[in-house]
Amino acid sequence: MQREAVVVGVGESNYYKRGAAPETEFQLACIAIRNAVEDAGLELSEIDGFVSHMESRNDPMRLSRALGVETLNFSAQPWGGGGNGVAAGIMLADAAVSGGLAKCVVAFRALAQGQFGRFGQARMANRLYGAANYSALYGLLSPAHICAMQTRRFMHDHDISQEALADIALACYANAQRNPRALRYGKPLTREEYHASRWIVDPFHLFDCCPENDGAAAVVITTPERARDLRKMPVPILAAAQGLDAGDGFGAFNERSFPTAYYANVGARIWERSGVRPADVDVAQFYENFTGPVLIAMSEMGFAPPDGIEEFVSDGALEGPAARLPFNTSGGNLGEAYIHGFELIVEAVRQVRGESTCQVDDVELSLAVAGPGFAPGSAVLFCRD
Amino acid sequence: MSRYLGDEWALPYLDPQTRPFFTSGAIRIQVCRSCDTPQHPPDDVCHACQGMEFTHRDSAGLGTVHSYIVVHHAVHPALAERVPYAVALIALDDMPAVRVCGNILDLAPGDVSIGQSVRVVFEEIHDDETDEDLTIPQWETLTR
Repeated sequence: MQREAVVVGVGESNYYKRGAAPETEFQLACIAIRNAVEDAGLELSEIDGFVSHMESRNDPMRLSRALGVETLNFSAQPWGGGGNGVAAGIMLADAAVSGGLAKCVVAFRALAQGQFGRFGQARMANRLYGAANYSALYGLLSPAHICAMQTRRFMHDHDISQEALADIALACYANAQRNPRALRYGKPLTREEYHASRWIVDPFHLFDCCPENDGAAAVVITTPERARDLRKMPVPILAAAQGLDAGDGFGAFNERSFPTAYYANVGARIWERSGVRPADVDVAQFYENFTGPVLIAMSEMGFAPPDGIEEFVSDGALEGPAARLPFNTSGGNLGEAYIHGFELIVEAVRQVRGESTCQVDDVELSLAVAGPGFAPGSAVLFCRD
Repeated sequence: MSRYLGDEWALPYLDPQTRPFFTSGAIRIQVCRSCDTPQHPPDDVCHACQGMEFTHRDSAGLGTVHSYIVVHHAVHPALAERVPYAVALIALDDMPAVRVCGNILDLAPGDVSIGQSVRVVFEEIHDDETDEDLTIPQWETLTR
């Protein structure tokens, strides 16, 4: 921890529209992992640990066998929810490598929704169970609905207009125009098109909602010693965090800090562990399941107070490599592809290496913030070696 | 009485924890026997003192709209003809820490707004499958 583990390889499969991948989900996972290991200049047999998030179906026993791993020394997944765990997976890999439990840990995420069905889709029977008794009974069903309820109250409390949500979407789509991997490459979005798009759940238009896609992405994490004679510049993990504040994370909408995105504690830990401040960050990736919760996460992480967050994101402040805060530079979940945020981890590493399609000058600190609106939150801060 | 989302829409699962809220004809909230703290949704352990025995308290049924959404895209086939509809989050006036979801029966979805005063009404339904009489809390606007 704090530069005791480094990212040495990144990789991905092709990204596809939902249901369009010709490969199975397990094949996608293996392709992304193989590409990341090759990028590092390692052998597959040297991998000795796996982490993923969101109850990955691609388990480490099957991966070890398929990829020819010699010994498996570590496997783990963080608790809780979905894309909110993507940076927590990196944190677990960091902990395993820093603590000497494993030497080369692969963190990855793969999904093929044609093969296994959709995540964002509400699942309903004619009988409700658990918390759904109190919400689905009234028609509150999907992640979009949950995040819309949080966002509506946040907009009310801090006098935030629809334009601030548009600013998040437009930055992602604009940055995707520079990235040939992006599924929205060659399909720019205007503010007028944003406002004219149909409502999914007010306050979210169609373009406030991320698509669901097929694909896989992976990174390889090892020790600074092992990284020394590998192919690429190692990218140290300066800080990682996962967590909650008291009274939050259970009992949707009855939490003490509602409407929270679950990032106040995560932000505090990231800045405490790294010794830097939000203003020092050169480039940031924020998981956008929906645009609204990004505003909450951004303010909870300390980039601007809630009352100032609209001003902070307005006037193109997030668009392009020379933005006030270069943001979701590969296009993010909205513009590049929705690989449950793992594409954001890959992009954060590429920014430190100088390999982004929307490259920011002289990146020293590159932040990736995982999914907002579902608990617990997580984030990881990479730095230059 | 026909239901806000249609008579075919899903019904709650009744167990000792959920039954008071959906069958009592009141907004009946779980309260810890040890420290008297109300909590919603109900849980096995009191979040304030870790007590494990509970009683209940009825709210007077007056509340304020704390947040809301307007659903335009139906995510379930049974709701395809029902959109747009609104779901409100109601903060109870007499238990400020408790918020419950509901529909505001006398308002068009576009007329719901934060801060509106509402009072509880009940959708009375006989659940043929379980032979239980349900009183599902819902809301209507209140002029104060």
